[in-house]
Amino acid sequence: MNLHATPILKSLACAAVLGFALTGCTNTGTTTGGSGGGSETPEGTQQSVASSEGPTCSIEDYGAEKIDLKDAVVGFSQSEKEDNPFRIAETQSIKDEAEKLGVKKLITTNAQSTLSKQISDIQDMISQGAQALIVAPLNSDGLEPALQAARDKNIPVITIDRKVNATPCEDYVTFLGSNFVEQGKRAADQLIEGTGGEAKVAILLGSSGNAVTTDRTKGFKDQVAAEAPGIEIVAEQTGDFARDEGQSVTEQLLQANPDITAIYAENDEMGLGAQAAIVAAGKTPGEDIQIYSIDGTRNAVEQITAGSYNGVIESNPRFGPLAFQTLVDFMDGKPVGQDIIIADSEYDPSNAAERVSSAY
Amino acid sequence: MSAVTSAVRLPQKGAALVFLQRYGVYLAIALLLLFNLFFTPNFMTIDNFRVQFIQVVPVLIVALGMALVIGTEGIDLSVGAVMALSAAVIPLYIGYGPLPAAILAVLAGCLIGLANGTMIALIGVQPIVATLSLMVAGRGIALLVADEQLKSVIDPGFLALGRGTIAGVPYSVLLALVLVGLVAVLVNRTTFGKQLVSIGGSRRAAELAGLPVKRVLITIYILTAALASIAGIIQTARLSASVPSTVGNLIELSAITAVVIGGTPLSGGQVKVLGTVAGALLLQLIAASLIKHNVPDAYSQITQAVIILLAVYLQRGKAVLK
Amino acid sequence: MTDQLSTAAPAPVLEARGVGKTFTGVAALQGVDFTLRAGESLALMGENGAGKSTLIKVLTGVYQPDEGQIFLHGEPASFAKPVDAQHAGISTIYQEVNLVPLMTVAQNIFLGREPRNRFGLIDFRKMQEDARALLATYDIHVDVRRPLRSLALGMQQMVALARAVSIDARVVIMDEPTSSLEAREVETLFRVIGMLRSQGIAIVYVSHRMDEIFAICETVTVLRDGKVVHNGRLTDLSRVELVALMLGRSVEKVKRGGVTAFGEVKEGEGEPVLTARDLSRKHQISGIGLDIRPGEVVGLGGLLGSGRSETLKAMAGVMQLDEGSLTVDGKRVRSGSVAAAIKAGVVMLPEDRKAEGIVPNLSIRDNIVLAALPRLSRAGFTSRAKQDAIVDVFMKRLRIKAASPNQVVSELSGGNQQKVMIARWLAMNPKVLLLDEPTRGIDVGAKAEVQALINELADEGLAIVLVSSELEEVVEGSARVVVLRDGSVERELRGSEVTEQHLMAALVGENHAPADESPAEIKERL
Repeated sequence: MNLHATPILKSLACAAVLGFALTGCTNTGTTTGGSGGGSETPEGTQQSVASSEGPTCSIEDYGAEKIDLKDAVVGFSQSEKEDNPFRIAETQSIKDEAEKLGVKKLITTNAQSTLSKQISDIQDMISQGAQALIVAPLNSDGLEPALQAARDKNIPVITIDRKVNATPCEDYVTFLGSNFVEQGKRAADQLIEGTGGEAKVAILLGSSGNAVTTDRTKGFKDQVAAEAPGIEIVAEQTGDFARDEGQSVTEQLLQANPDITAIYAENDEMGLGAQAAIVAAGKTPGEDIQIYSIDGTRNAVEQITAGSYNGVIESNPRFGPLAFQTLVDFMDGKPVGQDIIIADSEYDPSNAAERVSSAY
Repeated sequence: MSAVTSAVRLPQKGAALVFLQRYGVYLAIALLLLFNLFFTPNFMTIDNFRVQFIQVVPVLIVALGMALVIGTEGIDLSVGAVMALSAAVIPLYIGYGPLPAAILAVLAGCLIGLANGTMIALIGVQPIVATLSLMVAGRGIALLVADEQLKSVIDPGFLALGRGTIAGVPYSVLLALVLVGLVAVLVNRTTFGKQLVSIGGSRRAAELAGLPVKRVLITIYILTAALASIAGIIQTARLSASVPSTVGNLIELSAITAVVIGGTPLSGGQVKVLGTVAGALLLQLIAASLIKHNVPDAYSQITQAVIILLAVYLQRGKAVLK
Repeated sequence: MTDQLSTAAPAPVLEARGVGKTFTGVAALQGVDFTLRAGESLALMGENGAGKSTLIKVLTGVYQPDEGQIFLHGEPASFAKPVDAQHAGISTIYQEVNLVPLMTVAQNIFLGREPRNRFGLIDFRKMQEDARALLATYDIHVDVRRPLRSLALGMQQMVALARAVSIDARVVIMDEPTSSLEAREVETLFRVIGMLRSQGIAIVYVSHRMDEIFAICETVTVLRDGKVVHNGRLTDLSRVELVALMLGRSVEKVKRGGVTAFGEVKEGEGEPVLTARDLSRKHQISGIGLDIRPGEVVGLGGLLGSGRSETLKAMAGVMQLDEGSLTVDGKRVRSGSVAAAIKAGVVMLPEDRKAEGIVPNLSIRDNIVLAALPRLSRAGFTSRAKQDAIVDVFMKRLRIKAASPNQVVSELSGGNQQKVMIARWLAMNPKVLLLDEPTRGIDVGAKAEVQALINELADEGLAIVLVSSELEEVVEGSARVVVLRDGSVERELRGSEVTEQHLMAALVGENHAPADESPAEIKERL
């Protein structure tokens, strides 16, 4: 999918339909809701590196100035409004870690889901003297002016959770984040295992035109096609990453296709909405119709322990420790990977009870 | 959407145009039902209609209030934020029981309505500006109230509102029917209703006729907010969770669309209660038909846009005919 | 009849012979003969619906006649569309100025025929010079580079007129051109009309205002029910005769009642029901005092801007007062509250019926009961039976012509709308009725009915204050007239002083009527 054109087309479409699709433009693409809030980081929830293969980047390669974080000003640019647990946990984790390491000053900004604001946020932080930047990009494209401004001053930039279309170690240092395609693939694996390879599946898509939606869909569908010929995808409809939409859409789908046996929701909120719809239709979630989703919010994981939810692939928002560790290594002159994929864990009935505390 | 294509060609003749303005929405519903009867499996079942009615309830209730506001030549963009606020308030007070929590949620929503009404009636701010500001601020307040958190609501009495039924008819649908009846009586059989449409027809004339214009306007914005709060409560009960960040997102557009395709002109002076009900049902049926046929999101959005354009076109035609 | 005109009459510019036009079976024009000569100014008169507009539209190419023929300079002519008529030298000036408000005066005058320089581009300098010169010939001096909309409405009308004439117009048709003009602007318009006539341009003038007609028109064509009922010199007619022709009534009948339909008027007796003292509001009115007794019609005279409408608004609670008091039956009424005024029994018929009076989309019933609704309801619920009772009474009594009480009020004629407004207030059982231009913009028949009604209501004991820009209405309808000037009471006319003569003198601030014409003479002229 053309990641550059999609958001623009999308925004045009939004204007064209009198804003009917605005949810599609502003939704987070990760989670909406959760009970942990993320103000504390429970033990055992830290991110770990799953893979860091390929080329590396050192401070000489990038051409930055060596600084000590204890005397440094570090800027963090958050992309979306903090009205969902993923973003809350992500920002909190960065703040906590900066405090822990004794960073002299951490500047945080929030682009409120507006690309132009994120660009000016980053430029402002540079003019405020930021010497290193951690950026959660709103979009894969469009941040070039901000990255260029950092490059002009040789300020190292670490991008997290979404990857930008630019050259690592040249336009930015490294990317830390989940592999969304992989998340979709792993959800497919869980579903295949849980259903024994025979199922009629409805997919609750995320917001239209969102790279996360595209990747999670691709990973899931490719894996199902490759591994489980007995699984039929009977419907795919957007639930806009929102619980009420997930519920409404599932109600409709269950009416039209009473033989649906499993739901794949691209985030937990829609999965929880689907669960309510299944109950309303007089069926038992987790048994008559299985539910799998991606995120790892506490609400969803608790439902697994209750037996009415089947599997959750985690998308870990706690980037603080890993991001700062990468920065420290980089400043120490050690080469760091250009593409660091974090290890997302997963929850299923076998481990949900003991690991529910690490959900966010 | 055969209703759509046929409607575009017909307005050549005045009589057909008048017919479509008056009955177009009912005709569209009939055609859509006919289409689904033949092409959608499991559509003509009681369960399916129960689902459609349950899902239309929030938009319908909000649209009732919107119709009142539009009848006064106003608009209320803050209804979604009011829903969010009432949703946010529920979990805070559910400990006192479902009814007190619901009453408090409605009261909280009414505060936003009061703010809207005060700005519009007393200060003279344009309705679109006043309610736009509360659309933004209201959701912010809701998130503050909720501590930016989604909260599960498990009180069984409260959840019954979302799930319980009497003789197979869900409580929420019954409640919506009662509200439709009350609003219809209010509009057609009370002094207040007549004053409302008079203000919409000519605010200056209403003032010079000694009508309590300011009081009526403030009351209407409060009523609209109260209705939106009830929609927020029902939505929360249905989700069994308070989700202030997303509940009621863009519902103002659906509600305005329902009101307009129901035959209430945006220029005020008329309130079509039954038309509004039909408008909301039509939107629901369109959405359901598209989902059931697994139509991709982009096409759904375009279809909705076409419906709105058509409705506004017909309204404009009405002005020309006059 | 045109043969009676002087033998040296110039050749006809525009003629219509036997013109007929029918709309869905209804004859709007029947066998209309019409002649317009160069330099002539002709008044086209008739009640609403007499066929004036249809005739104008036939003459200007908006409609094609079903029968008959139009002649231009003696040659048969037919105009397929308005632009053809324009090219043939027939221009029309409407009430609203049909020009481009955001363009400059010069651009508007030369719209579509801009002077070009040798590169084929618009020569703005020449255009401005030409525009200035053109306007100067009519003694109009404005900055031609200003956008049209920045000019006063009257000035815009002059520009439209100048444009029309500069397109080589031989005939200019003016449809109610003065309805939105101020007195001073009307003067300028008249002066320009005089100049046009001296250039041999013929004018067709349509207006409801008798004063204007008699001031500037030479000949008159009267239409009634689609037929020409009179053609001739205006000076041969008295006002009464003209009105009689328009209404199709005998002169005697009209004369007995004067030009208006008012009957005998008398001053009220006893204690005043309404007493206003020292009504003041900055820049609008100052220190106005009034006493109105039951059963009398008090005229409130004054030129535009004298404060007459403002005084009514102050008494009706529509306008906030800086100072002053209003008492009704000895009880003080809170100022600035319409509701309080209505409660005390003081109600006002607003000047702008369309914008401030009727609620256009509501039915006749809803409009009549609008103010009285709370009284016709129980616990906030309306009672159709109570409404119907009252609506029925007033529709009959005021002879409101409508299909049913359910008819939407905007579909009614102006006169019937005005009756609906009066019914709305009578349903409140008022003590004082304030009427601001009650007969403006309604046809002659309805006008007479409204005037008769005012009489009748006074006879029944209602106290009425009447504001009208038509002198004869004030003079014939009121027992006494309080004349305002510049926001204060100039003087009060009583008894035999209540004449147009005295009123006019008072309007302009002269204490006594000029001696050269006695009140009796004026009455005679009428």
